[in-house]
Order: sequence, then C-alpha cells, then structure tokens
Amino acid sequence: MAVTVGEYDNTFETPGKRAPLVVGDHDFASVTEAVCNVNERPMREMPLIWYVLFGIAVALTGVLFGSIGYLFLTGVGVWGVKNPAGWGFAIINFVFWVGIGHAGTLISAILFLFRQTWRTAINRFAEAMTIFAVICALIFPGIHVGRVWVVYWMLPLPNQMAMWPQFRSPLLWDVFAVNTYFTVSLLFWYVGLIPDLATLRDRASGFRKWAYGLFALGWTGAARHWHRYERAYLILAALSTPLVLSVHSVVSFDFAVSQVPGWHTTIFPPYFVAGAIFSGFAMVLTLAIPTRALFNMKDIITLRHIENMNKIILLTGTLVGYAYAMEFFIAWYGQNPNEKFIFIARAFGPYAWAYWTMISCNVIFPQLFWFKAIRTNIAITFVISLLVNVGMWFERYVIVITSLSQDFLPSSWDYYWPTTLDWLTFIGSFGLFFTLFLLFIRFLPMIAIAEIKGVMPQARAGHDQADGGH
Amino acid sequence: MKAPDISADRLHIRDLAPGLSNLLWLGGLVALVAGLLLATASGTETFLRAYLTGFMFTLSLALGALFFVLLQHATRAGWSVVVRRIAEYFTCGFGILAVLSLPIIIAMVLQPDILGIRAAIHDIFPWTSELIVWGDNTAAHPGDEILQGKSGFLSTPFFVLRMVAYFGIWLWLSHFFLSRSLQQDQSGDPQLSLQMQTRSYPGMILFALSLSFVAIDLLMSLDPHWFSTIFGVYYFGGSALGFFSLLAVTMFWLQSNGRMSQAITVEHYHDVGKLAFAFIVFWAYIAFSQYMLIWYGNLPEETAWLTVRQSPTWAPVSLLLLFGHFVIPFLALISRVPKRGRYGLVAAALWILVMHLCDMIWLVFPHVNHGGDHAIASFGVLDVIQIVLCTLGILGLYLGRVVRASAQGSLLPERDPRLPESLAFHNF
Amino acid sequence: MATIPAEATEPAGTREGILRGMLVEFDTPGQLIAAANRVREAGYKRFDAHSPFPIHGIDEAVGIRMTILPWIVMAGGMFGLLNGLFLQWYTNAVDAESLSLIPTFLQGYNYLVSGKPYFSLPANIPVIFELTILLSAIAAVIGMLVLNNLPLFYNPVFNVARFRKVTDDKFFLVVDARDSKFDARATDELLSGLGGTAVEPILEYPSPSALPRPFLTLGVIVTLVALIPPALIWKAWVSKSSKPRIHIIQDMDNQAKFKDQRASVLFADGRSMRPPVPGTVARGDLQHDDHFFRGIVGEAWSTTFPLHKLPVDDALLDRGQQRFGVYCAPCHGLTGDGQGLVNQRAIELGGAWVPPANLHEAQYRERALGHLFNTISNGIRSMPQYGDAIPPADRWAIVAYVRALQRSQFATIDDVPAAERAQMPSAARPAEATEE
Repeated sequence: MAVTVGEYDNTFETPGKRAPLVVGDHDFASVTEAVCNVNERPMREMPLIWYVLFGIAVALTGVLFGSIGYLFLTGVGVWGVKNPAGWGFAIINFVFWVGIGHAGTLISAILFLFRQTWRTAINRFAEAMTIFAVICALIFPGIHVGRVWVVYWMLPLPNQMAMWPQFRSPLLWDVFAVNTYFTVSLLFWYVGLIPDLATLRDRASGFRKWAYGLFALGWTGAARHWHRYERAYLILAALSTPLVLSVHSVVSFDFAVSQVPGWHTTIFPPYFVAGAIFSGFAMVLTLAIPTRALFNMKDIITLRHIENMNKIILLTGTLVGYAYAMEFFIAWYGQNPNEKFIFIARAFGPYAWAYWTMISCNVIFPQLFWFKAIRTNIAITFVISLLVNVGMWFERYVIVITSLSQDFLPSSWDYYWPTTLDWLTFIGSFGLFFTLFLLFIRFLPMIAIAEIKGVMPQARAGHDQADGGH
Repeated sequence: MKAPDISADRLHIRDLAPGLSNLLWLGGLVALVAGLLLATASGTETFLRAYLTGFMFTLSLALGALFFVLLQHATRAGWSVVVRRIAEYFTCGFGILAVLSLPIIIAMVLQPDILGIRAAIHDIFPWTSELIVWGDNTAAHPGDEILQGKSGFLSTPFFVLRMVAYFGIWLWLSHFFLSRSLQQDQSGDPQLSLQMQTRSYPGMILFALSLSFVAIDLLMSLDPHWFSTIFGVYYFGGSALGFFSLLAVTMFWLQSNGRMSQAITVEHYHDVGKLAFAFIVFWAYIAFSQYMLIWYGNLPEETAWLTVRQSPTWAPVSLLLLFGHFVIPFLALISRVPKRGRYGLVAAALWILVMHLCDMIWLVFPHVNHGGDHAIASFGVLDVIQIVLCTLGILGLYLGRVVRASAQGSLLPERDPRLPESLAFHNF
Repeated sequence: MATIPAEATEPAGTREGILRGMLVEFDTPGQLIAAANRVREAGYKRFDAHSPFPIHGIDEAVGIRMTILPWIVMAGGMFGLLNGLFLQWYTNAVDAESLSLIPTFLQGYNYLVSGKPYFSLPANIPVIFELTILLSAIAAVIGMLVLNNLPLFYNPVFNVARFRKVTDDKFFLVVDARDSKFDARATDELLSGLGGTAVEPILEYPSPSALPRPFLTLGVIVTLVALIPPALIWKAWVSKSSKPRIHIIQDMDNQAKFKDQRASVLFADGRSMRPPVPGTVARGDLQHDDHFFRGIVGEAWSTTFPLHKLPVDDALLDRGQQRFGVYCAPCHGLTGDGQGLVNQRAIELGGAWVPPANLHEAQYRERALGHLFNTISNGIRSMPQYGDAIPPADRWAIVAYVRALQRSQFATIDDVPAAERAQMPSAARPAEATEE
C-alpha cells in the first residue's frame, strides 16, 4: 500500500488533461485496504483523539436528553420563548440542522447528475452527516409542540375524533417534507452502502461477517445487478435533486407565507436553499479536514476536493449575499414602511450585533476564497468553514428573532433572551450529531469504495495491463 | 478510437446559406415596418408593448447564451465544447439589441407628444409621468407617495445610465469570450482556457446583477407599485430555458444541413435536453414560489399584479403557461427517449420557445388602464399580430447579426484542449 | 484445466458437492468485458460478470437489456401524487354530509382556515410533491431489490473462497449450470481459454433440512415474550377495579388556578372572585345618562325615547321584535296578550301562578316609556329582571316594539294610508271595530 507523505497538490489542471482524483500510487486493493482499515482495526488502535471526542459527544448527548426530559416534565416555559418572540431557539436550531443536512444529498444527487466525479470521495460521509443532521433537526419541532405525547396528531391517522391535519399549514408541509427527506436520504445512503457492506462482509469473519452480510443483502457485484443498481441510483439522484430544493423551500414557507415584515418575501425559497447548501458544505469541510488527517485519507480526499468544496462555498456564499442585497433593495423599493423598518432595525437595531456577525461570516469571510492560496490552505479553510457554520446559525437567529421581537404592535416589543436550558439543548444536539458521526466512522466505510474505484484510471475498460502487482 | 471528421465544420454558415444574414435583416425590417403600419390600427401603446415583448424575448435568448458560455468556462466543462461556439455566436447580438432598445429609451426620455407616444409611455411605465408621480395638487392628480419614494431609483436619467451599464457589461463579456475563443482557434494555447475560466467567475456576478436589474427595470416596473424579490431569478429561469431550446434547434438545423454531423452526437442532444428539462423544472419552481407566496400572503399590494392575470382576459394565458410552459414539456422530456431522439427534442424546443414568448406577453401585456376607466385592458387578435410582427422583426435583426458574426471563425472551437473529450463524450 | 480444489470442499471435504456453475477470475475490467463477449458469442445466456464496481460497456458484453425500473418508479410516483391529492381533498375539503355512510373515524370534512378555499390547490402542492417523491424513491429501491432477486443470503457462489475478492480487486465471470449450453467439460474448456487467472467450479453442499436447535429455542422465547403485552391488555380489558385509572398524562386536567364562585383561602372574604375596588368604575361601566340607562328624566319616568343615543326607526323596531320574541314572548305571547306558552303550561299544571300582564290593557298602554323600560330592567312581581341579560339599547328596542304592538291592536282607519284604504274589504276595516 502506498501513501503519499504530506499534501500532493492536484489542484492545478492543464486544460484538456484532467487531474487525478486519487493521488498516491493506489490500486483497487490498496483503496479497499485504506478505507476498511478504519473499520477493521481493533478498538485499541483507534486514535486517542477519537476516544476523547466520543466521550465528550456522549456526555453532551446526555445533556441533550436531560434537557429534553426536564422540558417534558416542566413545559415549554423553561425556554426563552414568550410574547412577542414565540419562536426561538427551537426553530432556529431546526432550520440550522436541516440546512446542514442539505449538503449530503446535494453532493450525492446534484453533483452526481452534473457528473462531478470528485464527489465520490466525500459523498458517503456527507450523506451520513445529512442523516444525523436531519435527526437533530427533527428533534426540535418535535419537542416544541407542547404536548409531545400527542405529536402523532400531525399525521393523518384515522381516529375516533375524526380529527385531521390542516393541510393548508406550512408547518404540516414541513412534517411531510422533512420526513420524506429523511427517508429518501436514508434509502440513498443505504443503497450506496450495499456494495461496500459486501466488501466488509467478504473481508470479515464471525459475527461481523454475519452483521455486515445481513445488511449487504447477498450482494455479488453481478453485472445485471449493477445495471439495475446504477439505474436506481440515477433515479434516486434525479428524485433527490428536486427534493433537496423542496425541503428547504418548504422550511422557508414556514416564514414566507406569513405577513410578518422581513419574512414575507418571494425570494425566500431559493435563498434558503442556497444558504442550506452553503452551511452544509461548511459542515462537510469541518468534518472532512480532521477526519482525513486522522485516518490518513489524504490520497482520497485530496486537496482538489477541498478546493472544489471551497469554490461551492464561495458560490453559495455569494448567492446568499445576492439574496441579502435583493431583500434590502426590495424592502426599500416596495416602500412598505413596516418592511423598511424591519430591515433598518436588523442592521442598526438592538440585534445589529447578530446581523453583522451573520454578514461577516456568511458574505465577507467566504470572499477570501477568491484567492487560490487561501482555497488550498487547509488551516484557513477549516477556520472559515467554522465561521460559516456560525454565520448560518446567526442568519436563522436574525430572521426569526428580529422580525418577531419587533412586530406590528410596538407596545409588546421585547428583547429575546434565551435561557440556559435553550443553550444546553442546542449544545447537546451537537453531542448527538457527533456521537452518531463518530460511531459511523468506526463501523461503516466512510468512503464509497466501489465508487472511488470507478473513477480510478484502472477502471477504464480499455486498461488491460494488470496493475494489481504493487 | 477514430477521431470524428470535423473538417466540414470549418466552413462558415455563410457558405451554407449565402445571404442568410441579409435575408434575416430584410425580413426583420419588413416585419417591424409592418408592425409600425399596424400601429395606426392597434394604437401606439399596443405597438410599444408588443415591441417591448419582442425585445425582452430576444434579449433573454442572448442572455441565456451568455450564461451558457460563462457556465461552461466556470465549471471547466468538457462535454459542451463542441456546442460552445454556437452559444458564443449567439452572444454577439448585444450590439444590435442595444440599438433596438433605443426606441423604448427615447420614448421614455423625450416623451414626445406626437402619435400618442407620450400617453402610451405613461401608461406603460407610469413612473415616467411627472403628473402621476408628483401630481399637480388637484383631486384628479394627487400624486403618488409610493412612487415618490421610489423616484431615486425609478427616474429616467438613472434608468438610462443603468441601461448603458447593462449593455456595457454584456458587450464586454461577450466580446471577451468570443475573441479569446477565436484566438485559441489560431494558437491552441491552453492558457487561454485558464484565462477564460478565471474571468468567468466575476463575469458570472456581473451577469447575475445585470440580468436581475434589467428584469426589474423593463418588466417589474411596468407595474411600479408591485414588487417581488424573486423576479430577477424568474426572468433568468426563462432566459436559460429559452436558450437551451434555441441551442437544440440550432444544432438540429446545422446537422440537417450537413454541418457538425460527426462532431455533435446524440449524447450532446441528450445533455442539452437534460439542461432544458432541468430548467423547465427550475422555472416552474421559481414561478410556483412566487405565485404561492403572494397567493398565501394575500396582501393587496402584491396580489393586484396576480389579480389582473387571473381576470377572465388573462386567466387562459396563465393556465396556458402552467400547462404549456411546465406540464407538457415536463412530461415530454422526462424520459431519455425523446431527449436522445433529435426530432422529439427539437419539437419540444420549438414548443418551449413559443411558450417562453407567451411568458413574456404575460409579463408585459396584462395591465389596468391607468388613464382611463381603471378596467383591465383588453387583449385581442390585433395585439397578437402586433406581437408576432414585433418579435419576428427584432428576432430577425438579432439573428441576422448572429449569422454575420459567425463568419468570423469555425463552428466549433477547433483547438480547445478539451475538444477531444467533448467529441468522445458518452452519457452513462 | 480446473480440478475440484481442496479448499472448495468445505467443511469436511468428504461430502459430494453438486455442480451449480463455473467461474473464471480476471485481474482487470478489460479482460472481463472481452471474456463476457466470448461467452455470449458462444451462445450462453445464463451467465453474469461480477465486479467490485460498475464497468462501462459490460451491459452490451453480457447482453443486458434496459431495465423496466423507470416504469416501476413512475407507477410509484403516480400513486404518491394521486394519494397526496386525494388525502388533502378528502380530509380538508370534502362535504361531510355526503359521507354519512362511512364510519366516523374515516370521515373527512371541510373546514375553513384563514379564508382560504376548502380545496386550496396551491397550498396542497408541497405535500403532493413530497408524497410523489417519497413513493417514487421507495418504489425505486424496492423495485431494484426485487428485480435483482435480493436479498439473497445464501448463494452457492459464496462457497468459492476466491470469490470473496469480487468486492475488492478481482473480476469474475460466472456461468450458471442451468444454462442450456452448460456442460461441465465444454464450459470448463471455454472458460480456461479466456486467459483468466483461475477457473473453478461452483459447488453446493446439501445441508440438513431440520431447523437448528438454537433457532428453535430463540423462536419459542420470543413468541412467549411477545404474548405478554397482549395478555396484560386482555386482563385490563376484562377485569374491574374500584381504583381510578392511572392518570399518566395530566394534559391540562389539573391546573393551579381559581375558578369562579369557588372558595379561596387566599383572600380575607374567602371568595376567589374579586369585587372592584370601591370608588372605581371599570371602563365602559359608567352609566351616567339617567334617561338612557334608567328611563328617568328629571324626577319622573321619561315619556320619550333617548333620541340622543339611538334613533327610533325600522331597524330599531325590527331589533325590538326579534328581542321580544327571544325574551318576552315565552310569557307575554307573540302578540303581547299575556297568553305565552309558559302561561298556558302553568295554568295547565295548576297551582299558585301570577299570570303575566296583558300588555294591551289600558294601564300599560298609558304607562310612561321610562316606566316600561324600568320594568324590563328590574322586573316586577314574578317577572325577573332582564337588565343583566339585555343591553340598554335592546331594552329600548323592546319598549319601542311593545308600543308598536299596542298600537296594532287599536289601530283606526286613519292609520291606513289614504291610497290603500279603498282596497280594503269593508268587513275588515278596523275602523268599525270599537274598543270594548
């Protein structure tokens, strides 16, 4: 097995000659080995940092469930939500996590349709990240409903009260959109995993062989199977692409169908989608950069992958900036006094600190990616990816809080203060996210092995010399 | 693998159909003159609206072409190299479009009180009328506070300045990419590809801003009270879709005349078809977002715009757009079979182009008579004839310029380093 | 030439294997495609190429036709679309009257939300869209698995040890023994001539048909455990208990708050309802206009309507008629003659009963307006006070209507407009009726 030491720069491409996506001197077997190694090594050989992070994450998960338990026993009054800001952290966190959950399916589906083969190195754990983020997202509206024990009322289940959901409500569309998104993402992820689970099955013995074999469904890599599998994968990608757009559009409808100034604006759907992709890619980078260093994946998740993701962050960050500017312009152009007021209040009112945090993290810092030196600098990339995560959280904070706390009735205006429990629940959700993610890294192949092999030069059919002899 | 024979593609379109550009120019002029003559019957306002419709339609195709060129450079696309030159030629029409925009701009600036132009332009762009905006302290003309608030943006000097800026941007971008691409035909220098890639990113930003604001200036301000933040994106969706349809038709026309017969394969049709399909869905997504949010919010200041379009006069056109611009082409192109069968794709593309024109009519024509009885203005056969004449006129002049421009070089970027990749391209 | 290798005869090596097929191993995808072409050209149909990743061009080599999967997905999507449309129409927009034959828990009904139409298609599109996608995606995955005959946990090809490399870096061509052209010798020869690194038979070893003991034990335990919850439910169903039900979810059944008319230990007077602070008047409670609120002008009952507060017109009389019908007619009768249903019933029942007044008696006809108003407000004899129930304006409306009733019983021909007098039949002319 061959591994390059340090970074191999494959970010420069001579036109007409595509740069390699897997660097180092890899063949099929060494790729399999490199990826499966993380899953197959004994527990004691997992890096110490993995244990440390896992411990912290599990502790924070405990904090999350503790906070939720306290909330259930006491009531929603333990949060900072009250008149006039009746929506607070729960919705902010929901939109934040759903947004992060958009990168996985985007990488899997949209980049797949656009034939961006570099996605193969990052799609697996971006998809895993999607599923875990959506789990975190689903928690928040679930615990915000007040009487959680009747949360099933949101579904159209026949009941003796003949009580049905109100389908004209955007909150109900959310129920359908996010659950559909979760289900389809899970299916997509699982379908992608089947050949790799078969790889792990064929390398394992005993219980692990049985467990991986159960989920590999008896996959043998037959051409007839691959044919239908690829067709199914393409169809899933084609279905997921509008789905990924629809989910955050529906989330934006929660706000935009209302008449609250600052919420009711027609650009919200595409603007939310751009923001979601933006935050999702930032989270992928936040996860990918340490992971590739820790498990020696620099040959597979190369500098080129990092740079491409930075380009997407630059693109979506600029789109978000376009939406901010367009909103501001139309707020003035529309000459609606309430609309004008709320936008000026955002920038210069009591929440100006949040607004300018958002602007600098989302619009200004990503603009640094215009410079190639910064795009290919791992450390700066990592910092900016963290800043984007912060900025996108604040974007939701600005949208939810500024519009609500200064509504149509000035006598009820009030400053929104989150409570300690708000913070604990929010931080705890990161614990759940990272717990699931660290478990995933340990037990499932974090790189799509079969897909990586498909984009290696040896995979081209005409390539007849036996390369396996390294 | 045997390299496809592309020698026939070095011939110019001029060789293919000598005098084509002159023919198009002549046809365009005749159509415009006929439109002008018809204006005596249909009225000045109808003519100006029809002219604006045809202008925005043609402009959207040119903008779509510019977007395509920028996108291919920005993404280092390989598959599209064989058809990129066609798009580059289509971006050559901005000069003539700038000239063709003059009648609108002159009418706005000078507001001549002849042939009813003054009244017509005030009805089309109410914000150009001093009387409507500022009033004269009488009950009949109290002025309009909202328009007074917007007068910093909606004022004729600033408007003219913006138009100059838009055309400046487009002329510069189209000239840059075509000239560098032609230069590469001679030198084969890969550095030019890199240079075009680097410039395409800021080009994209300029393009996005100029397109959004030209849509606001020339379409949204027709109803100066109404506003929608997504409007620029809506026009962009239609532009891109219109151009992909035009590209498919052009590819088919060239091939049926023996050009690019080996360079363009069914795979390229398939990809153009996929892009068209994607933008059918994208356009519907944006249109639905805009409609649904306004419908649901139900605020009078926004719904007024839709109410006109749902009145008995315009509801059939709105439904035509729903089915003709989305449902029918969606169903027609969802399978890979029609996208790979050239005839199916071209038929769909022609249909989409007609629908895109209907979309422009839908944006420009429905309005309330401001000066008169405040009833929804009627729409009849005369208006349709006027629109057809104006659109054919402007389109003819534009295409004539495009054909003339295509005499500058080959029909495909002969020495683009990614050409072999494009020629050998295969979908999976 | 392949011989049956020792490593394939698992586990004991003594049992005879059944030949299920034959495989050949390659190192590169290119060799696999070439081999597949050769085997297909040799007339084989039931063979397949196995590889760690999908290979371009293998479909033609193996002879795979386009899958019908897209049609399955389309069917799933259409089902989702129609389902979403029907669900939303049925639960939010259907006319409930038309569903009386359907059991209650399945009945939909139309209800109004924020002035939107019952059947609001724009608002229904998101859910329709999501269900279309959801069912298409499920159809795609299940369709792919079913068409691929997966899951298939036991496959004889897994008996070949080297086949494990198929998910790593080796490429295999497998010919099924069920192929009509399959012949152990001839096929072996063909495969050996393909230039692969190894050719091997695929053998299957019959296994005992009895269920393994651990499985049986586990099955019995699981079944028994699964029976416990239904048994508990059944017990709760049939048994009776004097204890109240366990109140797990309190919902808002018990709330820490005072209710009306209840005692409270918190306040000195022991009441939970609080009287207003002495000397204060609540907003809108100041009743300072004697004429309007009490029917008094100066020191006497007023003889006029409080015209400064309300006009006496048709609308007031209509209102009065309507209120009279609600509050007064049960006792006084619709015409005010004191023969209301309550009175009739009371007389029928017998016993002490003060009959309601006949409002057409002279004393009532001559009574001042303010006095009538006061009687309505405060009641008289067995008539209760209506001041709390009927707002002052409505009480004045009733007074006006009572006056109209009284007049109706004592109208003269002069009350009929001159133009219409001629049309009246002489017998019906009220002028001929004199007051008794």
